[in-house]
Amino acid sequence: MKKIIHIISTLTLIGVVIGAILSFVNNWATPLIELNKKKETEKAVYLVNPLGKKNEKVKANGEIFKVFDEADNLLGYSFVCEGNGFQGKIRIMVGVDKNLEKIISYEVLEQSETPGLGTKILDDPFKKQFNNLFAIPRIEWIKGKAPSKPNEVQTITGATISSVALVNIINSGLENMRKLKEKNLL
Amino acid sequence: MNNTTPIKNYKLELSAAPHIHSKWSTKKAMWLVILSLVPVLISSIIFFGLKQLSIISVSVAFCLLTELTIKKLRKKEVTLDDGSAIITGLLLAFILPPNFSLFATAIGAIFSIGIAKELFGGLGFNIFNPALAGRAFLQAAYPVSITTWTKPNYDVDTITSATPLAAYKFDKISTDLSSLFWGNVSGSLGETSALAILIGGLFLIFIGVVNYRIPLAMILSLIFFSAIFWIIDPFKYQNPIFHLLAGGFLFGTFFMATDWVTSPITSKGMWIYGILISFLIVLIRNFGGLPEGVMYAILIMNSLVPAINRFTVPKIFGEKK
Amino acid sequence: MNKKSYSYEFVKGIWEINPIFKQILGMCPTLAVTVSVINGIAMALATTFVLVFSSFLISLIRKLIPNQVRIAAYIIIIASFVTITDLVMKAKFPEMSKSLGPFIPLIVVNCIILGRAEAFASKNNILKSLLDALGNGLGFLIGLILISSIRELLGSSSILGFKVLPNSFDPLIVMILPAGAFITFGLLMGFFNSLSLRKKESEKEKLIKKYSDKLIKSSNELVEN
Repeated sequence: MKKIIHIISTLTLIGVVIGAILSFVNNWATPLIELNKKKETEKAVYLVNPLGKKNEKVKANGEIFKVFDEADNLLGYSFVCEGNGFQGKIRIMVGVDKNLEKIISYEVLEQSETPGLGTKILDDPFKKQFNNLFAIPRIEWIKGKAPSKPNEVQTITGATISSVALVNIINSGLENMRKLKEKNLL
Repeated sequence: MNNTTPIKNYKLELSAAPHIHSKWSTKKAMWLVILSLVPVLISSIIFFGLKQLSIISVSVAFCLLTELTIKKLRKKEVTLDDGSAIITGLLLAFILPPNFSLFATAIGAIFSIGIAKELFGGLGFNIFNPALAGRAFLQAAYPVSITTWTKPNYDVDTITSATPLAAYKFDKISTDLSSLFWGNVSGSLGETSALAILIGGLFLIFIGVVNYRIPLAMILSLIFFSAIFWIIDPFKYQNPIFHLLAGGFLFGTFFMATDWVTSPITSKGMWIYGILISFLIVLIRNFGGLPEGVMYAILIMNSLVPAINRFTVPKIFGEKK
Repeated sequence: MNKKSYSYEFVKGIWEINPIFKQILGMCPTLAVTVSVINGIAMALATTFVLVFSSFLISLIRKLIPNQVRIAAYIIIIASFVTITDLVMKAKFPEMSKSLGPFIPLIVVNCIILGRAEAFASKNNILKSLLDALGNGLGFLIGLILISSIRELLGSSSILGFKVLPNSFDPLIVMILPAGAFITFGLLMGFFNSLSLRKKESEKEKLIKKYSDKLIKSSNELVEN
């Protein structure tokens, strides 16, 4: 019996002391961490909507942000969408105009594509194709040729799967946005 | 009691009982394999130009050099004349794309011999086919340049084109079977010409260096498995003859899967091994991210060979069920 | 040998019981985060921080903890220091914490820390435990720097982000993939094992020579007599 009390009291003592230290550190760190997170999202929001100055999170499901200029005029939206790439999930932030007709730019947030091959979706010249790209009715892709239509992009040689995956992710994200707009949720 | 034979007269056999002495020594068989690769060598020069000899010679030279260095470092007897390093060098070069960087070829050769073969204990102890292991390493190291294929019969090496398998997988462009048979398509140096591979492969089977079971099992089961998918959806999946002739299947069948060291030693095991390789190939080609799966299929099955050997040991004569 | 000096407790962690190459502990971060040197250093520092503080605390209360629940007590202590590290990194070094990903929380199950707590800190005084923790941390740091510099050099042709190799060198992408970690680690381990094997062998030979010389000498004397 004495032993059990000893065990319990020691563990309790350790737990209490450690818990106190932890709560102290947590109190100090939480606001800082939240600030960092907010900064990071804002950075991505403005990266794909470079003219924006203010943003507001839309209440609908998912991470969707309205982007305004200085005079509170709606410029467009920045939204997060994700899907399967060649080896794993690709998560991107897409910037579109307010009518959901034109892609402004995109930014890859998470990916695990083949380095040097699929990771070309992170860089120009592939990425540049999406600047001011028309997305009506959807983005289309072409292989081995320069794009001829305003809503067409050329896939990366040797990384067709990653490039097509990216196009598909943006398309399905846009579709979702349009549905939300129809329901006046944006 | 002195009628026992001295132990040193027995040779260690690498197969399950009953044993019959083969008429081939390792050395002689290795040189016959090299001879059987001559048609493939000729086809690669015809379709991709004399320039490709540089890749082949760099690969062979670095295989020999690595073997020599490691044998010296480990203070073992140098056995370059058994030809095994030359074969690895040749095979590695033949499964690389034309105009591949010579520097990367050398790295692949060093990996093949140094890590896949000598680190496991040298000839006879390696689990994985050294040439294929080298190719797999290069695939991971240089994913871009190892999938850049030069069009055959062109003097300029900047014109690239997809391999027949990739062309069908991603763009649904099929290649006609006769050019697949002669070899006038893009692909690795030695894998394009079915004719040249068949000459060399059948020669090996005919003279008895290679057992017919593994190639036969692989070819029959490839036709079987790919036919199933072809019947289900003839547009989405290619026909069995295309699967047979395209890509590295025939080359892998005759020269890679039949490697003495890394294939099963029992007859039943050989059948299982061949069938499973083809099954994996069809699976990877039809459903995988990559257009070609011969390399990975053979490497995966290489790792299962000890298990296959273990489970297919023939019954001792007279043993009850 | 029974009275080991304090300096020995520190130095042994670097080579003799190097956590990576001799104890083969902490493989998960060793293989996962060594893509670049800076990641390796950050990981080793975070681990050392946890190691030093938990060793200190465990050694401090080693006589207090009942034997039956010692592992549970160690884990509570270790886990809380890891949580502190994780929170501090997230608050102050968000970029670094992002690139190390889940491997900071995973320090909890890093065997180096529990291993040193169980094998050393719970049996030795505070100063010795501190030195042991610092030595092991340093050994871990050296190991991670070694592996990560090889991988970064060959995989991205740079060290600490600075380009070292010429552009003509095509980086081996496999080195920044998991396979590259296994290959690098295996080859390094083989190299170090052969080194210590050779050392042992030569020591053995020296010993044999010493005694055989003696034997020959004494037998010669016998013959002469």
